[in-house]
Amino acid sequence: MSRKAQRTLLSLLAQSGILAGALVISVPALYMVSASLMNSQDFFAAQVKLLPSSLYLQNYIEVFSVFNFGNYLKNSFIVTGAVVLLNLIFTPMVGYSLAKFDFPGKTVLLLFVLATIMIPFTAILIPLFLIIRSFGWVNTYPGLVIPFAMSAFGVFLMRQFILAVPDDYIDAGRIDGASELRIYFQIVVPLIQPALITLAIVVFVASWDEFLWMLIVTTGDALRTLPVGLAKFVEQYRTRYELMMAGSVVAAAPVVLLFLAVQRRFLQGMAGLSGLK
Amino acid sequence: MADTSASSRRRNQTKPDRPSIFGRSLAARKMRFGLLFAAPAFVFFGVFYVYPLFRTFYVSLFSWSLLDEPRFIGITNYVNLSNDKEFINSVGVSFYYAIGVCVAIWVIALALALMFNQTFRFRQAYLSVYYLPAVISLTVWSLVWLFMYNPSFGLFSEFARWLGFANVRMLDNPQTAMPAMILLSIWKGTPVYMLIYLAGLRAIPGDYYEAAKVDGASALQRLWHITLPLLRPVFLYVVVISIIGAFQAFTPMYLLTNGGPGSATRVLSMFIFQNGFQFLKMGYASAASVIFLLILLVFSVVQFRILRFQQQD
Repeated sequence: MSRKAQRTLLSLLAQSGILAGALVISVPALYMVSASLMNSQDFFAAQVKLLPSSLYLQNYIEVFSVFNFGNYLKNSFIVTGAVVLLNLIFTPMVGYSLAKFDFPGKTVLLLFVLATIMIPFTAILIPLFLIIRSFGWVNTYPGLVIPFAMSAFGVFLMRQFILAVPDDYIDAGRIDGASELRIYFQIVVPLIQPALITLAIVVFVASWDEFLWMLIVTTGDALRTLPVGLAKFVEQYRTRYELMMAGSVVAAAPVVLLFLAVQRRFLQGMAGLSGLK
Repeated sequence: MADTSASSRRRNQTKPDRPSIFGRSLAARKMRFGLLFAAPAFVFFGVFYVYPLFRTFYVSLFSWSLLDEPRFIGITNYVNLSNDKEFINSVGVSFYYAIGVCVAIWVIALALALMFNQTFRFRQAYLSVYYLPAVISLTVWSLVWLFMYNPSFGLFSEFARWLGFANVRMLDNPQTAMPAMILLSIWKGTPVYMLIYLAGLRAIPGDYYEAAKVDGASALQRLWHITLPLLRPVFLYVVVISIIGAFQAFTPMYLLTNGGPGSATRVLSMFIFQNGFQFLKMGYASAASVIFLLILLVFSVVQFRILRFQQQD
């Protein structure tokens, strides 16, 4: 075989390998969507079915009408929206102070931020719950939102981005007599806009997926977000897989849509989340 | 900053001088606004993250069910933990899970990153597909895999039947429940680490490879002598955060097996959750949290050093 033919064969092999990998990886997602469209006959057929016999939308109607998924969806949007907004307001400010200012307690704050990144959330679960309880925030929106109002990683990310903003821009503002607040809002914020979008995506996904804390802090059905609502549904109806899968599609859809809309930035953001440049 | 007051210079000869925060100088103004911008973070991280860390130690010295008054019992909780078979078991189960998940992830994620560091057709589209498991939440994936593991109509069981294994009951068998959990977690966890590796690979200057090519190094030699050594800091980071992450895993165990069958999948975070929020043993669960922290301390210190190192450059 000639060298060229060998190379073509190898490349063909590699390409089919990559394709096969992609198919295997997407099986659970495809199966989730497929099963969410199955009726009970498809489910209890003698042979496991890969595709529904017809597009059966009743499962989706049922999770919204008989079960409370509309409410869970609403709560997820409220909680995630509030968390993203609070992060967008506060973390760039804090990142700015750590990147460009010198003030008493700066080292302490940096230690606080790094400690928060490092502390395993599970380890502070109980005292955090006790604090939220003493504020009277159990089973309230503040209880669901406030512990995530500032992401330590977000602060770290913002600080890294703002370090790259040239001091000259900021000093030019000062020479022109702009107030510090005006410098922040009119010079710094516009310059870090791409970073803010990354921050919003990263925080959105983390907040949308948060499970353990929401499980602990919601005591009734009214404030449950989608992950907790799904979990409680499974506890009660362990065999209603078709509804479980319809609910799962509902829970997955917003993040998947966001991912499809901003793939490149999404991937950059997730790589940035690692804290490495 | 040039602005310094004479009094502070007299007080402290060696340290650089810090102007008074109330002055009219630029440095003083910067100090005030720095503090203003930072103030919410002091309160927030202090109240919700740093204070609870100390509170965990404190609560661990009490017997407290939330409904009664906390009663100081010294180190009794720790003594009881050391005699609690369930606790010892959960530490072992956590290590089993973490090692099973992490070692596989380190290798698979690196292999995938090396693959995506090449140029090939539809690379970007493939990257998105390979990243898909990381996009959707662990809660959703746990339910999908719960379904796939179902003995009679799950896809995984069907696949096992096709391979010739009759009556596969992954989640009902103490021997296979944890491997089932590990498989799901590897599948869900790998893409994120793949991205981290990929970012690391991208940061290696192309010149190095060019120079090696000129010297006649083979692809394998380039991988071994350039890529892997230069990737070492990234690898260290991946090792540390994947272990910290794996030790905190909770959702799959909660949804698929609730720690069972028996205690086969009762990881440490599950033990803490159940003792704290189901049995309302706040002190006991806090003591377990302290042990949990100590186990992860080594890894956290390494992570801290990496982040500190980064923030210096």
